[in-house]
Amino acid sequence: MQTTRRQVLVAGSALAVAGGGPAFGQAPQRGGTLTVQLTSEQRVLNPAIQASTGVYVMASKIVEPLVDLDAQGEPVGVLAERWEGSADGLTHTFHLRRGVQWHDGKPFVAKDVQFSAMECWKKILNYGTTLYQFLEAVQTPDEHTAVFRFSKPMPQGLLLRALPDLGHVIPAHVYAGTDIRTNPANTAPIGTGPFVFKQYERGQYLIAERNPNYWRGNGQPYLDRIVWRFISDRAAASAALESGQVQFSPYSGLALSDISRLSKDARYTVSTRGNEGNTAHTVMEMNLRRAELAKVEVRRALCHALDLGFFIENFLYGYAKLGTGPIPSSSAPFYVPRSAPYPFDRAKAERMLDDAGYKRPSRGAMRFAQPLKLLPAPWGEYTVNFATFIQQSLREIGVRVEIEARDAPGFLTGVYRDHNFDLTTGWHQYRNDPAVSTTVWFRTGSPVGAPWTNQYGYDNPAMDRAIDVAATELDPTKRKALYQDFVKLAVDDVPVHCAVEHAFISVYSKRLMGSHNTPRWSSSSWHDAWLAPA
Amino acid sequence: MSPALRAFLRSPPGILGVALLLVVLFAALSADWFFPRDPLSLAGRPLQWPGQNPRLLLGTDNLGRDIAGFICHGARVSLLIGLVATVVAVGLGTLVGAIAGFYGGWVDDALMRVTEAFQTVPNFILLLVLVAVFGSELEVITIAIGLVGWTAPCRLVRAEFMSLRTREYVLAARGLGVRDAGLIFREILPNALPPVIVYASVVMAVAILMESALAFLGLSDPNIASWGNMIGAGRSVLRTEWYVSAIPGVAILVTVLAFSLVGQGLNDALNPRLQAV
Repeated sequence: MQTTRRQVLVAGSALAVAGGGPAFGQAPQRGGTLTVQLTSEQRVLNPAIQASTGVYVMASKIVEPLVDLDAQGEPVGVLAERWEGSADGLTHTFHLRRGVQWHDGKPFVAKDVQFSAMECWKKILNYGTTLYQFLEAVQTPDEHTAVFRFSKPMPQGLLLRALPDLGHVIPAHVYAGTDIRTNPANTAPIGTGPFVFKQYERGQYLIAERNPNYWRGNGQPYLDRIVWRFISDRAAASAALESGQVQFSPYSGLALSDISRLSKDARYTVSTRGNEGNTAHTVMEMNLRRAELAKVEVRRALCHALDLGFFIENFLYGYAKLGTGPIPSSSAPFYVPRSAPYPFDRAKAERMLDDAGYKRPSRGAMRFAQPLKLLPAPWGEYTVNFATFIQQSLREIGVRVEIEARDAPGFLTGVYRDHNFDLTTGWHQYRNDPAVSTTVWFRTGSPVGAPWTNQYGYDNPAMDRAIDVAATELDPTKRKALYQDFVKLAVDDVPVHCAVEHAFISVYSKRLMGSHNTPRWSSSSWHDAWLAPA
Repeated sequence: MSPALRAFLRSPPGILGVALLLVVLFAALSADWFFPRDPLSLAGRPLQWPGQNPRLLLGTDNLGRDIAGFICHGARVSLLIGLVATVVAVGLGTLVGAIAGFYGGWVDDALMRVTEAFQTVPNFILLLVLVAVFGSELEVITIAIGLVGWTAPCRLVRAEFMSLRTREYVLAARGLGVRDAGLIFREILPNALPPVIVYASVVMAVAILMESALAFLGLSDPNIASWGNMIGAGRSVLRTEWYVSAIPGVAILVTVLAFSLVGQGLNDALNPRLQAV
């Protein structure tokens, strides 16, 4: 059974590499409706005020960023044609694409970029408020030039890698003078993208139709229409895919057992390709407010108690690998190969707890007076099953864990506002550069209650310094070296154990062509996607 | 041998029910002996089919837990929940029903309006509300299940009391100066109990089902080995490894069936009309 499954996985990835499949080399065909299944909706379709894959997977077909990533993961212009930065890193000039129109017919100009950056990215957008905190002004010397002025050096590489996520441009003429957070365009977006917003029924579907005036021309976009259907029940989602009602399920939207089953079905491609830019870690977070967990030896011991190889092979169907630190191996510009820092060693874990002063009172008894309270992040199988696995593993070394299951709002309040937990699991996403959304988990100073930040009470001045120095270093080589200091500190102090690294899994019909050809394809504009005839 | 017991032993459903119940009881009592490990612990590679590994008789679920051990330990949880919830439901129902039926008048009116208030909300919805408010520890769930199920026994007891309170033996006891409490508990209640005892077996079966339904929705206590928890966990592999949900499902079926059959047997034994024939 074990070998069979592994063989099947290898076969599955080989198929995925072949990619194009039967229609390889065919010319793109115009027309057709692509239906996409989504597990949940965020009720915001404005990527300039909410940074999340759940927003991009729909809105980035309608609203475009200045820059995206190409097939090699290098920045490529979308609404910006080219750019240059000053030597001191304080000024970045973007030359904007000419002849681009908003969906309402008005021309796209530099003022739109200025408005988006100063009013949305800097003031409202999550992660953007940190990234752009030293953005002083965006000047518009003419209609097609936007000059970003920073008061502290901003590395060009960081800015360009952040822009695909934190650089979507919205029309100033729609938003200026209104309350941006409540503007109706947030759920009926107007953009420059290949698809035009048509209809949004909460809890049911979103429809966007082909933009006939799209600036890329050449018959693009090829699809007539995209429909996103919200199907939260995973069993129903796989049924919809198999019955042909849906052609694409992004971001690991199906049950892992169904994903594994469909990987053997010749009608579908099951792959992590095209999601490299959205790598996530399944993590174990430890609340340093709990006396036992405040000791670094105890935290390290708990990490040594987890047989993660077994977990990946058997719980995650092999669709993951061991995490090595907060920067994932998929991040070519910043990753330096390391081994997994806390290999499974139960005897060592027991010894470390003994040495830390937490001996078992008697053979088989539990070490801590009170059990550890574990809140599993309700984001699906990865985080919920990992919680059970932690409970099972820690029991073996004499640490009792009690799981308290909560729904998403209860979890976010319990962990990030009330800090009412000892352990929690989570899903941390890495976005192309550590300064975009990764270092914030380790730095002090995030407001209480802000989700996906450092709320386990980790406070190390050396860490804060390392993060700040690296974020303003202009030389890419030096910057990469500085982030290795950050990784070492994060791994040694281990307030968050980046246990498992995995890309999201896409499941899609082999009819879907021109897809998964960039590292963040599910979040990109799909201008060159097309459907082969059934 | 009392006539009731003899009647019970003559009823085939009753015998079958008791036999099944003994099997479940044996599983519950012997769990620690045959399966000394914590039933929630990792027993081996997840999703091994029953019979594939001689050490794991019924295989493992998708979290690597030994299904056989889980079923035996789960029997304790289910029986415990069934028993305690029934005691709560029948106890409360009997008390309220007895008072309402015995006194009648405005006491009856007031208590029946409260009962109706409970009856207008579907049982399971009320249970979800209670669990959402008070949390999902085993104690809370058990008591909550008891609380949502007390209205039916209450109505039953009330009806019995209303018909019994004017019987001659009750009037005679009253004439002898027996106080209300004595009349309720010593004179009327023993005669009102047979239908309640029969109904209690239904309450017990429903209590077990309710806990399973809660666990299926992921709202039961995740730190205990309950059958519903395993069915809920197995839902995600239903298309491929159906046995993960099916085995605890059969366990629930057997237990609920056992209680229903025992109830049937009790009905045969205690129902005076059937005895007369």
